[in-house]
Amino acid sequence: MNGSNAVLVDLTQCVGCGSCTVACKLWNGKPYDKGAPATGLHPVADHSNWTTLTQRKAEKDGAPAWRFVKAQCMHCEEPACVSSCMSKAMRKTEQGPVVYRPDLCAGCRYCMMACPFEVPKYEWGKVIPSVSKCQMCSTRLAHGRSPACTDACPTGALRFGRRQELLGIAHDKLKTGRYVNKVYGEREAGGTSWLYISDIPFGQLGFKANVTSESLPAIAEHYMRKTPALLLGGAALFMGLSKLIQRKKAVAAAEEGKREQ
Amino acid sequence: MNNSGILQFDTTWGGWRLRMTPFRAVLAGMAGLFVLLAAFRLLTGLGASTNLSDQWPWGLWIGVDLTAVALAGAGYSMCVMSHVLHIDDFHGISRRGMLISLLGYVFVLLTLILEIGRWDNAYTPFLSWGHASPLFEVVIAVSIYMAIQVVEFSEVATEKIFHSANRYVQLLLPAAFIIGAILPFGHQASLGAIYLLMKGRLHPLWWSDMLPWFFLATSFYAGPAMVVLEAIGSAKCFGQEVEMRILTRLARIAAAIMGVYFVAKLLDLARLGQLQGLGAGSFEVPMFLGEMVICTALPAALAFSPWGKTKKGLFIFSLLSIAGVVLNRVNVVFTGMYRAIGSGYSPSLVEWGITLGLLAAVILAYLFVVENFNIFNRQH
Amino acid sequence: MSKSFDAKEKTTIDRRNMLKALVGGCATASLTGCLVREQEPGAKGWVPQQYDAPSNWPPQVRGRVPIDPENPSIVRDDRKCVLCGQCIEVCKKIQTIYGSYALPVKDDFICIHCGQCTLWCPTGAIAEADDRTRVLQALKDPTKVVIVQTAPSTRVGLGEEFGMPAGSWVEGKQVAALRRLGFSRVFDTNFTADLTIMEEGSELIERLTGKSEAPLPQLTSCCPGWVKFVEYYYPEWMPNLSTAKSPQQMLGAVLKTYYAKKTGIDPRTIFSVSVMPCTAKKFESARPEFNAAGRYWKNDGLRDIDAVLTVRELALLMKEAGLDFASLPEESYDSLLGEGSGAALIFGSTGGVMEAAVRTAYHAVTGQKAPALAFDLAPVRGLSGVKEASLDVPGHGKVCVAVAHGLHNARTLLDRVKAGTARYDFIEVMSCPGGCIGGGGMPRSSVPPADDVRRSRIRSLQVKDAAGTLRESHENQEIKELYRSFLGRPLSHLSHELLHTDYVSRAKHLKVDPKALEEILAGQVTEASRP
Repeated sequence: MNGSNAVLVDLTQCVGCGSCTVACKLWNGKPYDKGAPATGLHPVADHSNWTTLTQRKAEKDGAPAWRFVKAQCMHCEEPACVSSCMSKAMRKTEQGPVVYRPDLCAGCRYCMMACPFEVPKYEWGKVIPSVSKCQMCSTRLAHGRSPACTDACPTGALRFGRRQELLGIAHDKLKTGRYVNKVYGEREAGGTSWLYISDIPFGQLGFKANVTSESLPAIAEHYMRKTPALLLGGAALFMGLSKLIQRKKAVAAAEEGKREQ
Repeated sequence: MNNSGILQFDTTWGGWRLRMTPFRAVLAGMAGLFVLLAAFRLLTGLGASTNLSDQWPWGLWIGVDLTAVALAGAGYSMCVMSHVLHIDDFHGISRRGMLISLLGYVFVLLTLILEIGRWDNAYTPFLSWGHASPLFEVVIAVSIYMAIQVVEFSEVATEKIFHSANRYVQLLLPAAFIIGAILPFGHQASLGAIYLLMKGRLHPLWWSDMLPWFFLATSFYAGPAMVVLEAIGSAKCFGQEVEMRILTRLARIAAAIMGVYFVAKLLDLARLGQLQGLGAGSFEVPMFLGEMVICTALPAALAFSPWGKTKKGLFIFSLLSIAGVVLNRVNVVFTGMYRAIGSGYSPSLVEWGITLGLLAAVILAYLFVVENFNIFNRQH
Repeated sequence: MSKSFDAKEKTTIDRRNMLKALVGGCATASLTGCLVREQEPGAKGWVPQQYDAPSNWPPQVRGRVPIDPENPSIVRDDRKCVLCGQCIEVCKKIQTIYGSYALPVKDDFICIHCGQCTLWCPTGAIAEADDRTRVLQALKDPTKVVIVQTAPSTRVGLGEEFGMPAGSWVEGKQVAALRRLGFSRVFDTNFTADLTIMEEGSELIERLTGKSEAPLPQLTSCCPGWVKFVEYYYPEWMPNLSTAKSPQQMLGAVLKTYYAKKTGIDPRTIFSVSVMPCTAKKFESARPEFNAAGRYWKNDGLRDIDAVLTVRELALLMKEAGLDFASLPEESYDSLLGEGSGAALIFGSTGGVMEAAVRTAYHAVTGQKAPALAFDLAPVRGLSGVKEASLDVPGHGKVCVAVAHGLHNARTLLDRVKAGTARYDFIEVMSCPGGCIGGGGMPRSSVPPADDVRRSRIRSLQVKDAAGTLRESHENQEIKELYRSFLGRPLSHLSHELLHTDYVSRAKHLKVDPKALEEILAGQVTEASRP
């Protein structure tokens, strides 16, 4: 889905204003919780903080360097959450966002377990809770607009566009030599709709380093595709086996009977 | 022997036997607690009643479910052995496996209803098919299997009530046995497939693309082990002796699969280049060795030793191998995820209460069924 | 504002509704689909209209300024932020801070704490870091002697918080209010404004006459925002900054040394509060070097200023205490540190420090009273961004001075001097437009702050100065007494210990982006930094 929408985050361009987190809350009508800030040194990603901005006190060339890392759903190209959902409450839309449908969700929370980035959160305080995560403003996208966070970014650290195009821009930027030679999200979990470039190694900024570059759904689907055939084949085999053994036994019994006669 | 009293009676009423002992009274109390706690859980939500969090969205109940489904493997493995392979020795004990299995699945179903956040939406997988999800396969297969189990149990039930229906149940039985033998292969394996998506999160000692097959193998031998344990237990409680020869044979079949599983698991670790991980001094290693050596290799060897012909030996065999299956599921759900998820989770009192209370209810149900239906002795 | 698309009725079921539903026997409603189920989570809110376009369309106004969560002066409440972009407007265009540095950032949220954003913020999301609790605690503490000082411009601002017209003169009521709040002494920062003029004026004369090696032009140092600005952007100009501390810090130092000695109060029991029109004063008071009293008494824990309140915070304290402002009597400052000249009073307005310095420096050089011009120094009065004047000083010659307010104007002025197109002996800079009367801690009398409000406040100060008899710092009797009995003379050793300071370069915390800065100064404020 290279024609799908994506966002390129240039971590060198972020000044840490947190406009993205506010735009997210404004647009999505998410409440604020003093105990769970969306920005700062220790923000809390939860059901009402769909995006967080973490201040990282890192180092560059031996000098302290602060970076601000926006985190939200990565909107994988091949999302583990979508393939994990037993009732299709998670879907990857044509336009790029991975969206959640509470009306279909049974609340098994497999998506939370399956997500390699630990993105989906839960409304633990509710009697009938929903999973909660960034929708990449799918309704805005449907109206020809971009996600609220990218709209509000004053420095251009967030850039919205076509994934393929943004990858090109990202690699052009990498050629300047001012960045770490990696586009985070290009391959992670089989590729994501959110892409990051940075001048400081991603590991130092709290990015998950051990995310597989394989498509996770592919691993499960590889298995899933086999099951119907295996089950039908197995049923046939069992049926045959059962009849065969029964017959053998009947024959043996008959012979036994004959011999006894 | 009709002691009256609330805590101790043994009465027959309209053809039904009702027995109460102090032990059963405790179980009944726990079952009552389960009802209260379940109501609390449904009225207050998961956050108020469990210690689950965004870091640990799956906890005790999922661990218990995975374990219970595996142990309820008694149903299908006994079914395969007695109704597909027609091993005559096992005909007499296959109903025990079927009952263990039925009660196990009822236990799992009730736990799941409490475990899912939107129980009001429990029907959605049937309408909106997430066919790429291993969990979808589990849900669909378990649902069908539950129906099969009800049919299988109907055979037993109609011996006592609704006699006229027995004829029709008998018609359904051959198909039920075949489906009941094959279907669990699918969902037992799919339970392992659930964790395929946790690649990179689940510790490499447990994560493998072979995980579905390992889950299948462990559940397949868990069944006979459960039957052996049940047989020894019921012999003690109800005087229903089972021939040692049959139990030893059953245990050795299980032990053979355990041996294959043990070797396959080691080969798989070697294939994935994770054998050296066993040399690491991390806490995962003893958990893994406990599961594989003490609770798999050891009981397998025990079954084939002369001890395998003694009641004591078989008792230890069954306990160890069941512990191995439990430990395996605990390791997959908790131990192996700990490193990736971090910060601890320990089940809340409500979680424990609901699990233990439900377990007590299931044991009571077992006792009632074996006392009222022809489970132990299949003499026509 | 635009409403969200496809906003569906929210049907989240909370605990109470759940019970209600059960009681009403409606639990099956959701199962049978009677309830409208939430189809799409989120998208229940709105964003300002400028964000309702694809983000690659460059708008004029977008986002907000970054604020360090540990900023000692200003805080932001995200709940109130509507991303209107006004903080960026003032920070970038008026103060030339936001957008002036190259990205990536180094290790600082570049901020000079001026607090103009608190005045521009239409929802009050950005406000001063609240120190009221600490002050109230000290006031309740019987072991503490809580002493307060009030800056010149507070007395022409506080009234606005109580519905009075801009610039209303409320000096006496302010003193009365502070006494009623429980402050045991009420002193006037005007007193140390006079002291600043004595020290800074003397320093200027030393530079002018070549007695000191310090360079010309001398730059004023009483505005902490301006001082931090120089430390960030013009570290090479730090030797030009007057070493004299700001009046707030001078009073803090004198209070816990001279005053404590004279009255026999244990300086450790003094809790020194200042009421300021300024948020940067909170930052200034927290600068580690400002513990002159601590050094004097050899007690490291002793800070010169313990807490700074803005005028808005003071007004809130008064409202919380239920003080009826209208019925408060007019009271006077306490003595020893309470007398202030008209020269000190006009410190509160742009050009005021310059005018005050001219009056005293003229006298110091010539031994004569300055000419009438110096008592209504029109060229440096008013709200022009950069103002200049020259004055013939008999026995010395022509002295050229310049005044700037607002840091955009300050940059323009400094760059002119740097380029050699202008030469001055003395430059006064105030960070805030209009000077302290337009400070970030003053009442929000119009949003954004308007020049008519600033003019009213300035006029009020100037009228009082003109009407007074004491209009020169060197004529302040209490200042004379301070020198006579404690400090000796201006620039004495003890003066240096208590009243002078030095500066620290902050250049390593940022990399200036000359191109972006040029565009900002040229007024072409576009989204230049967008790649």
